[in-house]
Amino acid sequence: MSAVLSARGLTKRYGKRVALDAIDFDIPAGRIVGLIGPNGSGKTTTLKAALGLIAFEGELSVLGFDPRTQRDDLMKEVCFIADVAILPRWLLVKDAVDFVAGVHPRFDRSKAERYIANTKLTPTMKVKEMSKGMIVQLHLALVMAIDARLLVLDEPTLGLDIIYRKTFYQNLLEDYFDEQKTIVITTHQVEEVEHILTDLLFIRDGKIALSASMEEIGARYVEVMVANDKLAAANALQPIDQRTVFGKSVMLFDALRAGGLSRTQLAALGEVRNPTVADLFVATMKGTYA
Amino acid sequence: MSTQMHTPMNTMKWLIRRELWEHKGALFWAPLAVALVLVLLFGGGAVYSIMHTGSFDLQFGQDQVVAVNGIPHALRAKLASMAASSYLLVSAPLFLVLPVVVFFYCLAALYDDRRDRSILFWKSLPLSDRDAVLSKVIVALLVAPLVLIAIGVATSLVLLSIGLIAAAVNNVNLIVPVLSDLRLYLSPLYLLGFLPLYIVWALPTVGWLLLVSSWAKSKVFLWAVGVPLVTLAILAWFDFLVGRFSGVSLGAKWIGNEIVARMLGGLFPGIWFGEVGTQGASQMQNGLDASLLLSVSYSTLATPGVWIAAAAGCAMIAGAIRLRRWRDEG
Repeated sequence: MSAVLSARGLTKRYGKRVALDAIDFDIPAGRIVGLIGPNGSGKTTTLKAALGLIAFEGELSVLGFDPRTQRDDLMKEVCFIADVAILPRWLLVKDAVDFVAGVHPRFDRSKAERYIANTKLTPTMKVKEMSKGMIVQLHLALVMAIDARLLVLDEPTLGLDIIYRKTFYQNLLEDYFDEQKTIVITTHQVEEVEHILTDLLFIRDGKIALSASMEEIGARYVEVMVANDKLAAANALQPIDQRTVFGKSVMLFDALRAGGLSRTQLAALGEVRNPTVADLFVATMKGTYA
Repeated sequence: MSTQMHTPMNTMKWLIRRELWEHKGALFWAPLAVALVLVLLFGGGAVYSIMHTGSFDLQFGQDQVVAVNGIPHALRAKLASMAASSYLLVSAPLFLVLPVVVFFYCLAALYDDRRDRSILFWKSLPLSDRDAVLSKVIVALLVAPLVLIAIGVATSLVLLSIGLIAAAVNNVNLIVPVLSDLRLYLSPLYLLGFLPLYIVWALPTVGWLLLVSSWAKSKVFLWAVGVPLVTLAILAWFDFLVGRFSGVSLGAKWIGNEIVARMLGGLFPGIWFGEVGTQGASQMQNGLDASLLLSVSYSTLATPGVWIAAAAGCAMIAGAIRLRRWRDEG
């Protein structure tokens, strides 16, 4: 399967500031990719470039289209929720459904109505009468009913309460996602998405800091709760990060980096487990590992 | 999958519907409110004067007041002729609503959704920026004038009916001669006949306003009105100071008439009379001669300035589309 998203030397400058510094990456079909990075690292710029919202330098192919010149064709296959997007205040729920049904060939009206029925939204409600959470619910109901080959979600659950967030990600996985589709998510609440992600893309200062599938990450990164008497031995293996939990040292190892460490070798140091994406993120962004 | 056809035509229909949802206050309710005021004012006035004086007076010009009671036959025919040919004039104030509504509609059209970031929602749908902008052009140049014409004709007919009934109550029955006057039925068509001309004259203004609306980060009104007027003021000041000594002129007067007036004034119905004057109006003793008015109006299309301005309007619309395509709404 060819790449859904493929970047070569993707560069974006805002005046003198380089927001994206010649990055390369490939996202194959049928993946759920977490695009993760601190504020200002270039995640939103990457997404905007992919969606044809800004000009850029370098090569970028999305579903085989160049987002700069073929945006109109691209948007038939792609849908997105931008982090700062809101729905217009004057829009009625029923008009929103009618409109998207009218202009989008891949919109499933009954699906959207089913999602809306699970909320407190009513057909004659105006966006300006809704709470922030309700607006997001309407937006998600519309977008989830679009059978897009690529779905880009930039902070999709901002403003939603925890129950709805859980339901949303569950729906996304069970009801929306299949092997023909690709989803790219950015979020600050990494813990909530890490169980549904298949791939991670860490971005930092406009560069890709890490690009790997969750399996690769599981095989490569190991977290060890090091017994106190093994500290010196553990430090000799060059952990990429360490912190202290309840008086015990928790170290993060990159199996590739320290010249081919095995799990059994690390298990001798203490209790071994897979790091969370958040821990991995913190370690990657610290600057100790570039 | 939805069963509707997703043709470009259909998409445009939805885009226009979208504009009507958003702007129904300005496009429908504002003119309807003005129409209601006209009906209450004129219609109510006619009814009031009948009830209180038992007659109602027609005023011609400055001081020719005629009491419409037992009037001679010739005058009756003249009255009927005027009513049948000119009844649309009574809703003329409605057509002053049009430039105001369309002016502010155009300024908001490509700016409001950028300000509240809902543009990113529209851009997440398969809608090209070209279609989005063109739907707004169509609303400004076609839908809004058509709505106004419909409301204007309806209002005029209501007022004409009130007037005819009021006259009949006063024993001046104009109903038959008015109803049998062909011009009663042709007038709305003549009014529609002005629409293509209006579009040509309004294009530069609509183009300019949409360009500013698509470009400005804030204060669209100030940019749209301020830039041309301040430029003009500076040029005029230069001409005034320098021109009188050296004979050098930047042509402020010409720029004012040919550029700024077309940029900002094109939405006023009848702006073309500035080109030809009101010649011919003096010949209209028996009410409005609509065909004469039409031919005089269309004769303004013989001047190249109109077409150059309209072409510039189209170029500015193209510019607005381009800006909307590439503006980073981060």
